[in-house]
Amino acid sequence: MKVLIIEDEPQLAANMISYLSGQNYVCELASDYSQALAKISSYRYDCILLDLMLPGGNGLNILEELKRLKKEDGVIIISAKNALEDKISGLELGADDYLAKPFHLSELSARVFSVIRRRSFANANIIQHGELTVNLPAKTVEVCGKTVVLTKKEFELLIFFIGNRGRVISKSAIAEHLSGDLADMLDSHDFIYAHVKNLKKKLSDAGCGSYLKTLYGNGYKWDI
Amino acid sequence: MIKLLDKPLRAFTTYSMIVLLCSIPAYFIIIDLIWVHEINEHNQLLAEATKKNLVRLNSDQTQLLAAISLWNTLQPKTKIQPVRALKNDSTYNVYRKNNYNADGGYDRFQGLVTYVEINRQPYSLTVEANVEESYETIIAITAITILFFVILLVGFIKLNKNISKRLWAPFYHTLQQIKAFNLSDDQVVQFAPNTIIEFQELNDSIARLMEGNLSTFKRQKEFTENASHELQTPLAIVQSKLDLLIQDDSITADQSRLIEETNNALSRVSRINKNLLLLAKIENQQFLAKQSINMSLKLGVMLELLTNLIETREIAFQVHAECQVEANSTLTEIMLTNLLMNAIRYTCNDAKLDISLFSDKLVVSNAGTYPLEDQKLFLRFGSTSVQTPGSGLGLSIVKEICDRHGWIVSYNFTECRHSFTITFNSA
Repeated sequence: MKVLIIEDEPQLAANMISYLSGQNYVCELASDYSQALAKISSYRYDCILLDLMLPGGNGLNILEELKRLKKEDGVIIISAKNALEDKISGLELGADDYLAKPFHLSELSARVFSVIRRRSFANANIIQHGELTVNLPAKTVEVCGKTVVLTKKEFELLIFFIGNRGRVISKSAIAEHLSGDLADMLDSHDFIYAHVKNLKKKLSDAGCGSYLKTLYGNGYKWDI
Repeated sequence: MIKLLDKPLRAFTTYSMIVLLCSIPAYFIIIDLIWVHEINEHNQLLAEATKKNLVRLNSDQTQLLAAISLWNTLQPKTKIQPVRALKNDSTYNVYRKNNYNADGGYDRFQGLVTYVEINRQPYSLTVEANVEESYETIIAITAITILFFVILLVGFIKLNKNISKRLWAPFYHTLQQIKAFNLSDDQVVQFAPNTIIEFQELNDSIARLMEGNLSTFKRQKEFTENASHELQTPLAIVQSKLDLLIQDDSITADQSRLIEETNNALSRVSRINKNLLLLAKIENQQFLAKQSINMSLKLGVMLELLTNLIETREIAFQVHAECQVEANSTLTEIMLTNLLMNAIRYTCNDAKLDISLFSDKLVVSNAGTYPLEDQKLFLRFGSTSVQTPGSGLGLSIVKEICDRHGWIVSYNFTECRHSFTITFNSA
């Protein structure tokens, strides 16, 4: 899977590359507008991470260029502005998602995962992990062919873990993923315990191996 | 408080009243003096003529006495009487009951007593004339004075109104425009050009002040927005570095705890920053689109979202009446979230949270032990402390959103319950 990171801040770009490379993504970097234009017109990417404020031009123009070139690359806008208009015009121009800075790398990885899956053909939309089968469009989970009924939050949580497989996810990242903007208002992240506990129990009851590991009581890791 | 133009009106009125009051005795004294002087002159002339004629008669004593007797009978206003000796002339002024007039009032007389010697016998000659009574004069003068005072007063008021309409019109116009001025509207007031120097200077000065204020306010908003924007990228770097750090297999439990604590503090910084940015955006009027919102539906959706996250709290949601408001959807959601989360945050685990919706207001209340400081409650960072881990901006965002929509948010603490009330405008 090829990911293009269009980001002018070298440290942030390096961190993104470091995290995503560990997820078996092949990452390329464009640190300004002209580099980005050159890359998108020459290559095809599964996902493009696009910072809107770039030296040399506006990131929205890159979206327009992609549209003009009839490219099918998935695009996630990463912006420091978190402005509603940018979000709307970005999504109208064909972006798949919008992520406001600052964000957790696990959140980024989960978004990349779902953008790539959403754009893939139907068979790629079904994730097979040993005895565990997850149908993304239908939002169903099967263990050894038996359906496991999960709540909406538990399903979101499972996809989040799978999208960050092999990586440690902090509690605050999970809290923000589950509650969205409401995380701003929540002082305690305790509520995620209940969801994680329920998910673990449902999966192990159905006979699924314990892929989800708790690390030092402060983070989680989905290990295959 | 009185109006500017009423002040000179009062002074003018008082002054003219004093002048007119003083004029009453002055007029009276002068008119009376003229009266008495004229009557005295008339009496003098009459007396001199009578004396001359009596002396010229040259009659004997018997004839004289008969003539005097006849004179006294026929001439009621004069009297001739024999006296012992000649004296100097004198005048007198008396009120006497009137026998001839139907109303029987008192009349005022001015008299002259003069002396004449006829046939070696001194006689006194008294001549009287009716003078206008003092009180009648005073009444007449007072009546006229009051009449003129009333005319003056009416004139003053009318003139004042006309002057205020024409002369002060630009001033009142300017005043109206200043009253309508709102810093957050970002609109410089346009004053019409004026031909009067003072008003033109006033308008120019006010326009300059407003422009200064507006640009300061704008700079402040821009500063907040820029600072927040600039902070997002370094925050993202720190966040991503922490996310990478926990991937390290050699991390100990203690280090992991430190990282998680750093993560929590960083989330708080991020949310303060986000909220500051949101406030700046609301102030910059970036949420203008309005639509009709059904409050009970909206609240229902919000509560469903919340109860997914908070299962331990009991929330009682009562709809007393349907409530439809015209508002920005995004802002309304933010306001409700902040309000509800604020209530949830300060409610103990087992306490109930009450939400009541009426046709014109929303009340969110929860149990509490101490009243909050309502002076600082809605100020930015007004309620932050070590005990309250919020961003300190939640309620000021609620206030700002209410201000934008012309709603009123209020707080009170009664019977150990905090309650926040949002009063929607009746429209």
